[in-house]
Amino acid sequence: MTDFSLAKYYAWFTALGLLVGGLVIAGYYRDDYREWKDYQRKYIKEEIHRAPTPQAKMLAERIPVEIRQAVLPDLHRVDRCTTCHLTVEDPSYGGYPQPLSYHPLHEQHPFERFGCTICHRGQGRATTAVDAHGSVPHWDEPMLPMQYIQASCGQCHEAADNPAAPELAQGEQVFENSGCRGCHKLGGTGGIIGPELDKVGARRSPEWLKKHFIAPASATPGSIMPPQKLSETNLEAIVLFMLSQTGESASGYYSSMKVLPNTREGLHLFRSRGCYGCHSVNGQGGKVGPPLDDVGLRRAPEWMIQHFRDPQSVTPGSVMPKFGFTESEARALTDFLIHMREQAVALSLPSLMSPVERGKEVFRKYGCAGCHGPDAKGGIPNPNSKTAEQVPGLLHVADGYTVVQLKARINLGQHEIPALDPKRPPPPLYMPAWSGTIKDAEVDDLVSYLISLKPKGEDVGF
Amino acid sequence: MNAPAPKRLWQRFTRTRVGRSIFRVGLPESNLERSQAMVSSFLLHVQPAKVHRHALRASYSLGLGLISLYLFCILCGTGVLLMFYYVPSTDKAYDIMKDLQFVVSAGLVIRNMHRWAAHLMVLFVMLHMCRVFYTGAYKNPREFNWVLGVGLLLVTLGLSFTGYLLPWDQLAFWAITVGTSIAGYAPVVGEKLKYLMLGGHIVGQDSLTRFYALHVIVLPAIAVLMISVHLFRVRKDGGLSRPDEPGDVVEQIPLGQLPANKSYGLMELARGTTPQVGKNPEDEVFSWPHLVFRELLLFLLVTAVVLFLAIFWNAPLEEIANAVHPPNPAKAPWYFLGLQELVSYSAFWGGVVVPGLLVTALALLPYIDRKRHGVGRWFARERVVANTIFSVCVAIAVIFTVIGSLFRGPNWSWVEPWKNPPAVTEGH
Amino acid sequence: MNDSAPDKVTSRRGFFQLAFGWLAAIFAATASAAGAVRFLVPNVLFEPDQRFKAGKPDDYLDGAVTFLDDERVFIVRKGNTFRCLSAICTHLGCTVNRAGQGFHCPCHGSVFDDQGVVKSGPAPRPLDWFSVSLSKDNRLLVDKGRRVTDDKYLVI
Repeated sequence: MTDFSLAKYYAWFTALGLLVGGLVIAGYYRDDYREWKDYQRKYIKEEIHRAPTPQAKMLAERIPVEIRQAVLPDLHRVDRCTTCHLTVEDPSYGGYPQPLSYHPLHEQHPFERFGCTICHRGQGRATTAVDAHGSVPHWDEPMLPMQYIQASCGQCHEAADNPAAPELAQGEQVFENSGCRGCHKLGGTGGIIGPELDKVGARRSPEWLKKHFIAPASATPGSIMPPQKLSETNLEAIVLFMLSQTGESASGYYSSMKVLPNTREGLHLFRSRGCYGCHSVNGQGGKVGPPLDDVGLRRAPEWMIQHFRDPQSVTPGSVMPKFGFTESEARALTDFLIHMREQAVALSLPSLMSPVERGKEVFRKYGCAGCHGPDAKGGIPNPNSKTAEQVPGLLHVADGYTVVQLKARINLGQHEIPALDPKRPPPPLYMPAWSGTIKDAEVDDLVSYLISLKPKGEDVGF
Repeated sequence: MNAPAPKRLWQRFTRTRVGRSIFRVGLPESNLERSQAMVSSFLLHVQPAKVHRHALRASYSLGLGLISLYLFCILCGTGVLLMFYYVPSTDKAYDIMKDLQFVVSAGLVIRNMHRWAAHLMVLFVMLHMCRVFYTGAYKNPREFNWVLGVGLLLVTLGLSFTGYLLPWDQLAFWAITVGTSIAGYAPVVGEKLKYLMLGGHIVGQDSLTRFYALHVIVLPAIAVLMISVHLFRVRKDGGLSRPDEPGDVVEQIPLGQLPANKSYGLMELARGTTPQVGKNPEDEVFSWPHLVFRELLLFLLVTAVVLFLAIFWNAPLEEIANAVHPPNPAKAPWYFLGLQELVSYSAFWGGVVVPGLLVTALALLPYIDRKRHGVGRWFARERVVANTIFSVCVAIAVIFTVIGSLFRGPNWSWVEPWKNPPAVTEGH
Repeated sequence: MNDSAPDKVTSRRGFFQLAFGWLAAIFAATASAAGAVRFLVPNVLFEPDQRFKAGKPDDYLDGAVTFLDDERVFIVRKGNTFRCLSAICTHLGCTVNRAGQGFHCPCHGSVFDDQGVVKSGPAPRPLDWFSVSLSKDNRLLVDKGRRVTDDKYLVI
């Protein structure tokens, strides 16, 4: 019969009891050790060392060792970076090695309202260096390398109008001029052959983007996007611009400065809000309101800002409507009007341009060059298409199409491209239907432009 | 009497008015007190005052049922703690996982304990079921308790599955997407069931709310109830199964004619008949301390294992759930990967017929296999056919699960894990 | 074998084994319980910080009493001196309103003068004054965790 005495289990009991106790201690130790505590102790030591008076020393000794954070509900963030980077707001730490370093430029972006990760990315909630800097598995947004930091400006500010981010503006130019919109939608405008780019900057690393532009198929197997031949600076610029497209949207406080009050944005507003419908510049434009050529000499900036806020308040009886400009839009317009005389560019208002010039702008705006080549000269490969395995150039459309046919082709597209060899895979690129995307008036202008491309000396039409 | 000081102190306390009002019996000194200790304690009285020696043999039961129970207790404890922080919101759930890891004291350890205990519980409930099968313990009079056990297996799977979604990361989102899609293959009701489970067509805020409610109250309440009945029936069905011994006749004895040492017999409160078991007093030992002490040891062991896992391995947490970018492959929780593998061959067979037949066969088993022999011994020779059929089923399930877990890569293609680590892994 | 005979715990080795086992188990249980309590003590708060920056001194007009919504305090500027008055009624924690020169609590009608002193109503003591200092980047730094007497000023 088995011996049922319990005594033989006592040793087991002791061992298991000690094991559980030991594991609890191990759990405590593991939980209590936190990297950031070391950094905070170092900081406190430094503060004590620097303290000029015994009183200051006492205050420094009382600095608590605790997690610090900025809670940013409108940005959907909690940033704990200052748990280790304790001195970002203390200029006396300028030039100190990280993590105890001073961060200049807090004036417009105070830490308590913006935190860190909205610009630098990384993992704000993390409290270990590796996790916070974000180059860890299962975290999509590692810290943005400093060379691309201007991309962050583009999340909130218009790319083109920010004097502090010239590379971002350059990137936007490269984007618009390379015809990316021919295939990709950005901000709701563009083709449908490639994926939308509104949130691409949040998902893709700079390395991936670079690789993608140089050889798309190497980054995305099976991609039909043609490789982009860009100079090194243009490549960096467009990568930076792509990184700025994160789909980040913030309201209220954070959206008030989307438009920076400067001349360029003023020009943009002047055009888009139809000011020339009533006012004239250089003798061209409407006659309802006064000409604006010398308004910058006649009126003080404060008067103009108030005028944009509420025209009747400074010009009783004015028929100009209240446009509801935001404060920064009013400032931008004012800035533009003051500097208009110096702005030759101001004169290229669409209503003052010829249909062909406008058509060229349409060609650029919708990214036609992406497939049909710069100035519609053609040359992007489209394997197995009957047109010499290339997307055709458009220099000679005037010979093959009437105006009506050309409009129809643009509006309806051509989804089945005739194949050279029916046994090979069909040509990957096709002409999307643009009706609804490109406005009717723009199509008219575009057709005028395309017809005008026929080299000089050849007959126009049939 | 030179009992050690703490013991004397305890005895003195239990003899005071207050002490006696709480414990009734102090540290038992006599056999009467040993019985009373079991009967008068709420937590202990579900067990008899005396147990059969056979029930104490660790090599027979392996303690698998008790281990499952302990894991359930650990899950309740850690789960309640986690509820103090968790918010079932698609905006917040994932951030809270990060806060548990980076900010909350012991947050990560407690989440790890919950995660590993959950996986272990699924595993041990299955192992417990295997043990009961291989020892023929589901036979008369324990048929219904086996059916309850099958129900508890399903509840356990449900608890684990609903909990899987709560961290709201990619792993959670896609495991639930895939898991509920498997349910969608059920005939007629499949799509409706999926719609009802998710509260919509995709995994979203409503799914999270539903899974949360199921996970923290509905299923635990059902589990507690069923576990209680399960344990109650273990006792009422005559304790743990054991081999028939000569003279150990099982007969239905009218209640009220039971020996006077049974409390319910004394009071004649119950009517009808009850199986008379273990009536040979020389085969029994007092539960206090023989059973209780062994149970305590096992509890310490289970706690140690869970703590060990929780301290040294972190529960997985992937990127925040993103409906646009599924991982390749997207995998269900491990215990459903056998099914997912089957579904990859045939949605109807893998998603409907096999799991349906399996659960039905398990539930009906004790009513099909009615011969009363080979009970109470592992792999009894008399049961070789049943054991072989069961073993083949288990082996197939294990093989499919292993294939689904380790040998399936992108596009559910065959990969060899020693060459290419699978895209989806648990833990690190 | 007679299992009605109690196990002899009194053997020296058995006793120590049991005692150590119990000690360790009780320690583990106590430490775990303490850990669970510690788990519930928040290490970070998502409410507005007790210490907060209240902008540049020049943001406040001379002689004005400015209410800060999120922080529920009044910033009081007189000349070059700055003080910070709590807007939380000392009775049961409602937010007081500015009423004339003083303050009025809408919940139970306590009335305070411009120095936060109780004029009438159930409030047991004056409104609190909080410590105001200047941060390293020249912002007002209010610490609601540190109460001061009403004669403490920050002088710029």
